[in-house]
Amino acid sequence: MLSFSFIKKETLRADIATVSIHLTHTFGAEALSFEKKFTNSAGEEFTLSKFKYYLTNFKLIGNSSKAASVESYFLVDEEQPDSKKLIVSFEPGTYTGLRFLLGVDSIRNVSGAQTGALDPLHGMFWTWNTGYIMAKIEGHSPVSRMPGNFFEYHIGGFRGETNTLKQIDLKFPQALTLQKNRQLKIQVQADLAKWFSGPVDLSIAAKPSITSPGTNAKRIADNYADMFTLMDAKTNEP
Amino acid sequence: MKKTKSTISFILLVTIAFGLMADSCKKKDASAYNPTLETLSVPEGFPAIAYDFNQNPLTKEGFELGRKLFYDGRLSRDGNFPCASCHQQFAAFSSFDHSFSHGFDDGFTTRNAPGLFNLAWQKEFHLDGGINHLDVQQLAPLTAPNEMAETIENIIRKLKADPDYPGMFKSAFGNDEINSQRLLRALSQFMVSVVSSQSKYDLYKKGEASFTPYEERGYTLFKAKCASCHTEPLFTDLSYRNIGLPGIPNLLDAGRMRITNDPADSMKFKVPSLRNVVLSQPYMHDGRFASIEACLQHYTSGVVNGPTVDPLVRNRIALNRSEIVDIVAFLRTLTDTVMTKNPRFADPESKPIFSPDPEQHD
Repeated sequence: MLSFSFIKKETLRADIATVSIHLTHTFGAEALSFEKKFTNSAGEEFTLSKFKYYLTNFKLIGNSSKAASVESYFLVDEEQPDSKKLIVSFEPGTYTGLRFLLGVDSIRNVSGAQTGALDPLHGMFWTWNTGYIMAKIEGHSPVSRMPGNFFEYHIGGFRGETNTLKQIDLKFPQALTLQKNRQLKIQVQADLAKWFSGPVDLSIAAKPSITSPGTNAKRIADNYADMFTLMDAKTNEP
Repeated sequence: MKKTKSTISFILLVTIAFGLMADSCKKKDASAYNPTLETLSVPEGFPAIAYDFNQNPLTKEGFELGRKLFYDGRLSRDGNFPCASCHQQFAAFSSFDHSFSHGFDDGFTTRNAPGLFNLAWQKEFHLDGGINHLDVQQLAPLTAPNEMAETIENIIRKLKADPDYPGMFKSAFGNDEINSQRLLRALSQFMVSVVSSQSKYDLYKKGEASFTPYEERGYTLFKAKCASCHTEPLFTDLSYRNIGLPGIPNLLDAGRMRITNDPADSMKFKVPSLRNVVLSQPYMHDGRFASIEACLQHYTSGVVNGPTVDPLVRNRIALNRSEIVDIVAFLRTLTDTVMTKNPRFADPESKPIFSPDPEQHD
């Protein structure tokens, strides 16, 4: 049977340990909500209506040089609370941090029709210029010149200098030992304010729509690469 | 003792029962999924196939499913626009006599529909090469608001509700699940199977046909003046080039640059195959020329030079009127009616128009 689960199927083994990653979305210090108004670093007020991104290729970094990795593809969606809890299985061991990609690796961008989290029907795939949208936000702001004051940032592109794929490393405060049949619970905060400020600040008035690969998309990806913070990591019974 | 014995018999019974169940499941599966594997043969002189059949093994069942889907209007939002509405078999699967093709809500496409054949030898799709795999190309026309304008979710819903499709998906893929990957892969199986390699030119190359003096002279001229881009045997080198077409009002199409963002690619489009070229009029990415002669005249006297115009056409191509006649005669040998009339590629629901019907003569 094929599964529609967002978690890729893997062989069940007795000697695995799991890592559960719990994501919390914020804007600065405030909890994210589509009901609230926020103000970005350019002083522009806006509301959000969409926030989705891919987290893939999870690895645990150990004291040994070998990383424990697993084929894992998740689509996180602010509107789907369940999508903010990710479960990944790893080999037991002692680890110092978590590594993953924000976006979809280039192999999956060039391998034709995919299923599960990578199914093109999730609205995260460009049909006219093949490739996944790594992350997107949409919303409204009085400063946007677009119809209905709409703004949209669909960030993607996996080639060359405008590659938007980001490797995220979250270091644990201290090395953690993950035993079999145990679960490592990790709390991660994603701060959407980072989309707007970084090496090049983003102004909604100046650029209300970015929906193709290129320099502009790359700039936003350079900004949001910094959005994740590890809040807590501890081992629990599963 | 008795109790132990009955326990053992019970365990035995359960084991046997489970064994039987497992066995019958296996048998049922085996009888249900037994697709007929097919091999796409490489015509003599053709390069190796680019399409990856390891991911999507070609089967009779997959091909037939793809064929039905290709001709099914329900893949479009209002039911009027199957793939075949813009890709007509008699026009070598291009849009006959249309510079742009009709789409949903009186929409028009913004580029001339290319003929669909020999796709198994291509790695990039669309005139700007923006699509890197045939399986995902289909998402573009299926969802574009000016083409079929449908969502993948709706297509899957319509196919699931159909009396025939679930069974066809089961025969092609092992169970009746219908998802986007299977839909796209089935369509690919049909499309890669359309091969054009049986024109008069192909017979000539095999020594099974001879050219007229016009065709012979045209072939010699073609090899000297056209073949560096329209390379045999596909009659395209699959590169992107700007051939110096002057801009036309209300259509700003940057071509390949739209994909690469590289100004060096401005106004470049994929070199089209010239196989079946007489069937696919009008010509160029925007269908601006109604005849092959007009295309050739562009190369002799119409090229407008700009920074990205191809060095091979910058100085124009010298051809006199009789040479144009000869080249056109040669291009006519590239028509493959074996493909355009092959009932295997036709609408599975249509009846052959010209098939002999003894009853009618009574």
